[in-house]
Amino acid sequence: MNINLKIAIAESSAIIRSGLEAQLRKLTGFHFQIVEIDNSERLYEAIRLNKPEILIISPAMMRGEALHQLREDTGNLSMKCMALLYTLTDKNQLRYYDEQISIYDTPEELKQKLEQFCQQETEDDKEDEEQQLLSVREKEIVVCVVKGMTNREIADLLYLSTHTIITHRRNIARKLQIHSASGLTVYAIVNKLVELSDIGKL
Amino acid sequence: MTTEKKPKLKIVNCMYKKKEYRETDKMFDLISGNYSMMLVMSRFGIEPGFDEKTIGEVCRHNKVDCRTFLTVVNFLIRKKDTPAEDTPAEDINNCISLEHLIVYLHNAHNYFLKFRLPHLRRKLTEAIKDDCPEDVAFAITKFFDEYAGEVDKHMMYEEKTVFPYVRDLLKGKKNPKYNISIFHKRHDQIELKITELKFLLLKYYPGKGGNWFNSALFDIFSTERDLATHNQIENNLFTPAILELEKQI
Repeated sequence: MNINLKIAIAESSAIIRSGLEAQLRKLTGFHFQIVEIDNSERLYEAIRLNKPEILIISPAMMRGEALHQLREDTGNLSMKCMALLYTLTDKNQLRYYDEQISIYDTPEELKQKLEQFCQQETEDDKEDEEQQLLSVREKEIVVCVVKGMTNREIADLLYLSTHTIITHRRNIARKLQIHSASGLTVYAIVNKLVELSDIGKL
Repeated sequence: MTTEKKPKLKIVNCMYKKKEYRETDKMFDLISGNYSMMLVMSRFGIEPGFDEKTIGEVCRHNKVDCRTFLTVVNFLIRKKDTPAEDTPAEDINNCISLEHLIVYLHNAHNYFLKFRLPHLRRKLTEAIKDDCPEDVAFAITKFFDEYAGEVDKHMMYEEKTVFPYVRDLLKGKKNPKYNISIFHKRHDQIELKITELKFLLLKYYPGKGGNWFNSALFDIFSTERDLATHNQIENNLFTPAILELEKQI
């Protein structure tokens, strides 16, 4: 199945621009919609109108620090930015980009980098959906942890393996961004999962 | 070791990128442009009231090794601009006097343990006193106390084990049972748990908030940052300098 991607190429050299476009079109597994931007004056308007998922831009056209502003001003916050490199570029500039491509990259490398973006995107979506909402099982486990039970004890109580408990605990930590038992205590009390008197150890 | 190399040149060598402070810059300019360097200054034992004196003059007046002071200052300023980068200075032993860096780290520990954290605890207690259900306040305070306990343990390990080891090393005595990579391996990110406190308060705090709450929260932000940079100094300046020293002995 082909992946649909809308890409903007911002580069002042027509030769490089069309060369990159030709290379992209040869890649299998993608269906591209490509927008060419030849000068920085057209950049904002073109991004605003087309809302590309990926912007491939020469660092000569815009300073890295300005990328965030560009995303905000054009209402295209999730746009990934790749630096298009064919001269030596300040390392400090490059950290503003999500990825870099060099004009010497092989088609395979190019494809890999694009695929990586698409993967990230679906993972991000998935995480957003399940973020924060604990399942009933996870809440049970939070209560046990707060009461000071070990993984073994929790596993025995709930008829699960310790391995499953560890996986649950990892998911809880990821969802809540709380890693310590005392942090979970605060969470559990605020959300009325336990009462202070339930917690024997305190 | 070749100590007769010109240290001043070395300082310039091991730094790069835009504004690097030098001996000849005015102390006032450094501090007024980067107020958080006030903390660095006082941890080195430099008193305020430096008139129009240069950094070099102020350091000599306070008997502080200027190279070390500048290395720390420039490291922190650079870190603020490019937090992701981890480039330990080249030629570390020419930029740093370990004796002076230990004084700095020791004073920083004192600051966190005897001033910053107790002060933050008082503020936090005040902030949640009337505003927050009793059980939640209890859990938050407990969380904080556990955290402060961990910071204490973390820093006391350095005071009781690492610093004596380094002082011996500087005298040429090497402890066969210890080396700095042991420290490096167990050196955890002490700021992570205070980050957790920040999340907890921002996401789940059940009270109304208000001035004390905000003030406590701002203190948490700056303590988090301060602890993180403290750790970075230990990881990127202190540890590499000791590694070098270990090689030489």
